[in-house]
Amino acid sequence: MKKRSAFVMIIPGLVILAVCLFLPLLRVLIPSLHTGEYPLSAYVTFFQDEYYRKIFVRTVKVACLTTGFCMVLGVPTAYFISRCSKKWRGILLSVSIFPMMTNSVIRSFAWINILGSNGLINRLLITAGIVEKPLKLLYTDFAIIIGSVYLFLPLMIVTVAGVMENIGDDMMEAALSLGADRIRAFMKVIFPMSLPGIIVGGILVFTGTLTAYTTPQLLGGNKNMVLSTFIYQRAMTVGDWDGAAVISLIMIVVTLAVIKGFNSLAARLDKRGGDHA
Amino acid sequence: MAYMTLKDIDVRYDKKKQVLKGLDLEVKEGELVSLLGPSGCGKTTTLRVVAGFIEPESGVFSLDGEDLTKVPVHKRNFGIVFQSYALFPHLSVYDNVAFGLKMRKLDKGQIEQKVKNILEICGLSEFEKRFPQQMSGGQRQRVALARALVIEPKLLLLDEPLSNLDAKLRINMRMEIKRIQKKLGITTLFVTHDQEECFSISDKVAVMNQGVIEQFDTPENIYQRPKTEFVARFIGFENFLSLKKEGNVYKTEAGAVFTVETVKDGDFVAGTIRPEDIRIAGEKEDHNVLSGTVGVRTFLGKSYQYEVLTAEGKFLVSRPAEEVYEEGSTIRLYLPESKLILVNK
Ligand SMILES: Nc1ncnc2c1ncn2[C@@H]1O[C@H](COP(=O)(O)OP(=O)(O)O)[C@@H](O)[C@H]1O
Ligand SMILES: [Mg+2]
Repeated sequence: MKKRSAFVMIIPGLVILAVCLFLPLLRVLIPSLHTGEYPLSAYVTFFQDEYYRKIFVRTVKVACLTTGFCMVLGVPTAYFISRCSKKWRGILLSVSIFPMMTNSVIRSFAWINILGSNGLINRLLITAGIVEKPLKLLYTDFAIIIGSVYLFLPLMIVTVAGVMENIGDDMMEAALSLGADRIRAFMKVIFPMSLPGIIVGGILVFTGTLTAYTTPQLLGGNKNMVLSTFIYQRAMTVGDWDGAAVISLIMIVVTLAVIKGFNSLAARLDKRGGDHA
Repeated sequence: MAYMTLKDIDVRYDKKKQVLKGLDLEVKEGELVSLLGPSGCGKTTTLRVVAGFIEPESGVFSLDGEDLTKVPVHKRNFGIVFQSYALFPHLSVYDNVAFGLKMRKLDKGQIEQKVKNILEICGLSEFEKRFPQQMSGGQRQRVALARALVIEPKLLLLDEPLSNLDAKLRINMRMEIKRIQKKLGITTLFVTHDQEECFSISDKVAVMNQGVIEQFDTPENIYQRPKTEFVARFIGFENFLSLKKEGNVYKTEAGAVFTVETVKDGDFVAGTIRPEDIRIAGEKEDHNVLSGTVGVRTFLGKSYQYEVLTAEGKFLVSRPAEEVYEEGSTIRLYLPESKLILVNK
């Protein structure tokens, strides 16, 4: 009885999803499976092309590195925030989500000002006499990664801090009393206990970076395309809608594979609730 | 000779209220000492100073002649059992217990042997593969104890370890803790606010009040000879009368004369006595007597308990069930000098 009424309640949501998301998506994606001489030939062609392959590898590399940096920077920050008093926790969380509240174009322009050949960093380096000519920082993979880390770090911090808030001080204290120093106590107790949050944060950052458009467009430029900017170029500039559909499906598959990968990693690392016979 | 010493410890939180005020405590090797006191008196704070979670504003904590006041927690080698148990939820019972040994980089064989041994002592051998959330409160309690003991700590610290258990289990567990503590001969500090638990388990009891230790003695002495009114009230004395010293005797404000076995320093003290030690005065008794009116009578099976209203306030008196006094009647209470205890106010 209960189950049936619950099912009735998700029907409106399902209908909206089906009409507005799945149907158009399938209408775009399904034909892409049949274009060309044989089934999936569009996909084979994609991966045979060296230029396309480079874009694919760059996209995955940028997303992976961004996720990695967000974890390295975000997890300790989240722990610090989760240990603060309630008042400070609120203040620090608002500060850390501040980047998310500004427009992504403006945010990227700020980075252009910092990274450009006449930008903040290069002027500092030249004034200090460390380099003679400005370094090429803007329009590189590095610029995309910095911009994406800046963009998605808050997501990691907020997600992980939410999980860490529920870990009592007694966990750290127990580990210390058993002879672990702070770093080891963190690695052996706090980190594994926060893994569910870190995994969710990782998935959000990875998929966010993979699909972001403005940041890679403005900071990577046309020479450093990633899949999302490439889709736009295919569809809007070249008018190659089939090509755009192919890239879209590739991105969806990568996303699903990464989610699956993260989840099985989590299951491997966290054996709780398994078979203990 | 003292093994563990706290000397003149001051602690305040947030630079405001002083929580420990020049606290002194000396514990001998192998002793189980309880900190007993009402909630908020500073028991946990004292234990956290010993553990190293709090550095006192002033004062010295030393163990075996070595000043450890500034030594960080993880270098102290003390076993701590937390009120919440603080078991690691992502580790099995075996790995929880092995945690401290792994931190000490023992080899696998040694770890296994020590873990199995302590699990055996704590009656947990069959649970080593379980996870904490698959166990009952009492079992978790044992795991916490095993985890604290397996590192062969120089001190065992327990903060109200039994307060989350039901009454019957609590009695079992406190016997168990005592047994294991004696078997391993480990010096132990035990925090509790339950006087029965404290008396049954301790070699010595430190009764705390507002950041100082009011009395430090054996359970028997504390029960029979409390030194201050606070200690007496905390361990269940309810009958108090104010006394003023006049030569070798004491007088109440109304002038009633009381003799005692040993006089106490100070002119103004309080006398206290247990309900069952009060007798009914005969004709010839002319001192240590209080007269009063019988109030509410409560039947307790073997005896009746009366509230008697006297010039010194309400007194609880317990008399055998064969003797009955009616409400409203006047009686004379006799407080024998051998049972009347003098305490500082
Ligand atoms: N972290 C803290 N910050 C501020 N005050 C505290 C803190 N911990 C304890 N106190 C205060 O210190 C006093 C003693 O606390 P505690 O040692 O926990 O008492 P007990 O364990 O005897 O109940 C209490 O008044 C309590 O409110
Ligand atoms: Mg406490």
